[in-house]
Amino acid sequence: MRTVVSALPAYLRQSLQVMFQYRGEIVLWAVWGVVYPTVSMAMWSAAVAGSKNGQSIGGFGPRQFAAYFLLTMVVGHISTAWDVYEMGRLVRTGALSPRLLRPILPVWQSVADNVSYKALTLTILIPIWLVIAWLTQPMFSTDRTHLLFGIIATLLGAIVNYLWCYNLAMIAFWATRTDAIGEFWFGASLFFGGRLAPLTIMPIPIQKIATALPFKWVIWFPCEVLAGHTSLNSMKGGLINQVAWIALGIVVFHLLWRRGVKRYSAVGA
Amino acid sequence: MPQIEVRQLCKTFRVPEREGGFAAALRSLVRRRYNLIHAVDHVNFSIDEGEIVGFLGPNGAGKTTTLKMLAGLLYPTSGHATVLGYTPWRRESAYLNRISMVMGQRSQLSWDLPAMDSFLVHLAVYRVDKMQGQKTLHELIDLLDIGPVLKKQVRTLSLGERMKCEICVSLLHRPPVLFLDEPTLGLDITMQARIREFVAEHNRQHGSTIILTSHYMADVTALCKRIIVIDHGQILFDGQLAELSARLAPFKVIAIDLTRDIDGYAFEKLGHVLYHEGRKVTLRVGKEETAAITSRLLADLPVLDLTIEDPPIEDVIRRVFARDGEPG
Repeated sequence: MRTVVSALPAYLRQSLQVMFQYRGEIVLWAVWGVVYPTVSMAMWSAAVAGSKNGQSIGGFGPRQFAAYFLLTMVVGHISTAWDVYEMGRLVRTGALSPRLLRPILPVWQSVADNVSYKALTLTILIPIWLVIAWLTQPMFSTDRTHLLFGIIATLLGAIVNYLWCYNLAMIAFWATRTDAIGEFWFGASLFFGGRLAPLTIMPIPIQKIATALPFKWVIWFPCEVLAGHTSLNSMKGGLINQVAWIALGIVVFHLLWRRGVKRYSAVGA
Repeated sequence: MPQIEVRQLCKTFRVPEREGGFAAALRSLVRRRYNLIHAVDHVNFSIDEGEIVGFLGPNGAGKTTTLKMLAGLLYPTSGHATVLGYTPWRRESAYLNRISMVMGQRSQLSWDLPAMDSFLVHLAVYRVDKMQGQKTLHELIDLLDIGPVLKKQVRTLSLGERMKCEICVSLLHRPPVLFLDEPTLGLDITMQARIREFVAEHNRQHGSTIILTSHYMADVTALCKRIIVIDHGQILFDGQLAELSARLAPFKVIAIDLTRDIDGYAFEKLGHVLYHEGRKVTLRVGKEETAAITSRLLADLPVLDLTIEDPPIEDVIRRVFARDGEPG
């Protein structure tokens, strides 16, 4: 653990330095993070206007949809993880070898890359977010308790998604290529995480399935808490679910890592 | 007590195979064919503290696979190994803290940043004491003469500059055991010589144990007293460099300088003519016949000078590998 404490700040600095080299790319990635929620927001606002009562769908009017998708914009951004795409390349080309030589698990370098990317891109995303919020007049009913629990839920959700994406990424030790698995995971998170539509307006069977999967606890739950839509008991239950997914994720991580490294054939030199 | 001990070490890879062409690719969708490659096959050796040992062998001989297992990158199929008392593939932090591996084709440096940034990350990852780290860093920068390149992005460095930076980063935590896998690959002769000088100096100063693999004989002859020759995953020779010719090459090289030109003398009946130009002739002859052939040459010809030598080490190695792995 002392190695992690010593290495993590150095890795974070290194990641930020690399990103400073590619300013244009970072701006584009940050803007890309806005596109999905904005498209969903526009679609659902149009759907409300064309609905029978012209007021709301499943209790969501245009301003509630705006609030919800503005929250998914931030929560989705903070919880994003891309190791499932990256790990395949590292394993396939043997580029994992130099990382394996160090007396620290390679996952910590990926964590540093992930955190520094988000810290940097949030500085671009937040001004865009404020402009969209000014244009769409979202309706929040958030109090201090919801805000505090919402921030905790967002961070825990980010850890859940990161851990499980990394666990999926380790399939690369067996399958070599994991890009398709990454796409599958992303698609499932759009649907079951509530990124395409709030889960409460989805059919009941979908909602039940979503409760048993991690995606709901990554996006939907933190957004609901931040929007001020959850009772204290629901918040506690959600946080317990998040912690359970993290604990299970850590166990699976250790099992997969030990077996995966044994399979690693260190292609090339 | 040996610092590196390897017993019956094996590594077998299961490699997918298919014929070339579209039809074969289509068939492989349904039915995959695999082949077992015995990259390292019951290898045994031990290395003492402070030794520099050269690992020699053609491509695919098993050199790098052995090194990767000793560095904890690969898990063996069977066998045992200990380095500094640790089993490498358990990958304990305490072990990884005490070794380093330089890979000619893999970089430990961040390509988008100046090398100095990677050095600082390395010092933090290995928790090197700040004062000690700075001292080692400055020593290595001076010894490797890389001061002028430290501010350049790594991807803009020449191969030689990058390799010196790779060596620098891998030595920052002062590892007692160093694995060098093709450290001079692709470098020009001057840069190869500089890297060799540095490795020899580092070994003298710090007494580190070094295993070196290289395609360049000059690396091995300049640095290693002991060599291990490996082919098809098996050790063909393990001993002093000087013994290699005696053990694996059953021939000698006789070089003659004549006082005048000789026409029509049948040198080829005495041995294999390696060189014949004017008054200079070089013959390769069987070791057993050397004395008799020398006497005959001295008796038959106007000899100004005659030397008998072991064949060049490159020739010995080439002949050993040409026998397709049959020990000589």
